[in-house]
Amino acid sequence: MSGLTFRLNTYPDERLDLSPLIPSRLATLPLADILDLVVGTTKRQLKVSDFFAVSGQSGDTVTIQGGSEHLDFVGAGLDRGTLILDGDAGAYAGRKMTGGELHIRGRAGAWLGSGLSGGLITVKGSAGDQVGSMCPGDKFGMTGGIVHVEGSIGDRVGEKMRRGTIIARGTAGTHAGSRMLGGTIWAEQGFGPGPGTLLRRGTLIGPAVEQMLPTFADSGKHDLVILRVLSRYLSATLGPLAPSPLSGRAHKFAGDLAAIGKGEILIVS
Amino acid sequence: MKANGITIDDTFAEAFGMSATGVIVTADSPKWARQAAVTMSGFGTSVIGCGVEVGIDRELEPDETPDGRPGVRVLLFGFSPDALLPQLKNRVGQCVLTSPGSACYAGVESKTRIALGAGPRFFGDGYQTAKLLGKKKYWRVPVMDGEFVIEETTGVVTEAVGGGNVILLGNDRAGLLEATELAVAAIGKVPDVITPFPGGIVRSGSKVGAKYDGMIASTNDAFCPTLRGAVKSELAPDTVSVLEIVIDGLTSQAVANAMKTAIDTIIKEGWGKGVTRISAGNYGGKLGQHHYHLRELLP
Repeated sequence: MSGLTFRLNTYPDERLDLSPLIPSRLATLPLADILDLVVGTTKRQLKVSDFFAVSGQSGDTVTIQGGSEHLDFVGAGLDRGTLILDGDAGAYAGRKMTGGELHIRGRAGAWLGSGLSGGLITVKGSAGDQVGSMCPGDKFGMTGGIVHVEGSIGDRVGEKMRRGTIIARGTAGTHAGSRMLGGTIWAEQGFGPGPGTLLRRGTLIGPAVEQMLPTFADSGKHDLVILRVLSRYLSATLGPLAPSPLSGRAHKFAGDLAAIGKGEILIVS
Repeated sequence: MKANGITIDDTFAEAFGMSATGVIVTADSPKWARQAAVTMSGFGTSVIGCGVEVGIDRELEPDETPDGRPGVRVLLFGFSPDALLPQLKNRVGQCVLTSPGSACYAGVESKTRIALGAGPRFFGDGYQTAKLLGKKKYWRVPVMDGEFVIEETTGVVTEAVGGGNVILLGNDRAGLLEATELAVAAIGKVPDVITPFPGGIVRSGSKVGAKYDGMIASTNDAFCPTLRGAVKSELAPDTVSVLEIVIDGLTSQAVANAMKTAIDTIIKEGWGKGVTRISAGNYGGKLGQHHYHLRELLP
């Protein structure tokens, strides 16, 4: 595994846009050009060299050592290879990713994986609001790929999400899957109030819901083969990160009947 | 050639290029997975009369199936991917969708895909939903015992082979059948092949053409024991029964492996059961692209 390492040696006093630091964009750049890349977001036009010490050679992997909530757009636009952030990430990590793997070994801010269409994002800690959601101006939220958060995730996860899978080993906040069009959100410790607001299609899975919307209909307890398929898919894709396999038994609530009602909240034990 | 008292003809089996696809059928128990697989394999013996040749490749353990339940892999062989498509749709729609607790997944992985769930999903009448997991799309069709899960597509290969065969001759009709059953059971352990005829065995081998107009095939009189003396027979005076095993495989090597397994089994088990001779069917080598010489398949 060859690659470049960016060691954060100065705490950023402004928000940084680290979207240039992905393997495909760095592949053909000489070190001098890499150090000259602008990552600042103010008129000061601060460069990579103002914050990072760079070592190694261009390859399939980029490692960023040291994190901060000011590091925005980490892995944004990642299309291949692996990006490892050894610390916390700011907002928009993995935005519009189409492939490859982004591993955040700390916490992630808001809009993690927004517009994600392919690839894998893992977060060692918790994640902020709007994970996998649409940003203002986007037509959809996530349209593919997998987001795996070891901790909990904030509010409105998967807003207008169309495809893909989001897994939180902890809880999901309020209004998870609002206006969702498809895909799967699995919160292993359960959902906050009002999941599935205006849910059209898609699946929310968890052991409990803090407050179910009245526009979800109790469809009864069932043995759903698709949950077994989902578990085996995640086991094959995520290996040891995969959640405990589901038996298939689930209490189904169909909704949101205030929309077209083809979505579902599955309460599993 | 002789082995363990059994004569092996210096001849070859002649087989043809075909297209093939497959599905994995699962259910709550091995019994019901097999029931659905057997039902969809019905009337699938010969591509000439049935449109497709269908059979069970093997039973699958729960850890081999997409949903972790017991399963069966069914293979279908036809003249072309286009010819396979309506057969697959009808058989899955009528025989698997209808079977209690069943689900249906791709059984062949290849770049070329044909529709699997694209037709049966409409049975959901608008209540069906899709789930995309990675690159695979699954349909969930509401049915009276829950949901029928079916994958959107399955793979199709055009390098498959149909018509590999072994012909077994004996002096004891019951013993020959018993020995042939053992050979079919042994082939059952060879991956990627099916023996599409009833119980894997054909008792009505055919020759090309007939005295009647419109008949493209008719009884292989040279191998009919009751015609010995009346026709130019291929049979020894003590032969009372002839049975054939027809083999289709996803690859030529799979067919060769299956034929070799059958021959090995007959040489080991056949003599005591009345098997006197092993032969193979061909058309002079002019019709089929694949030739399997028995002498090259001997143990």
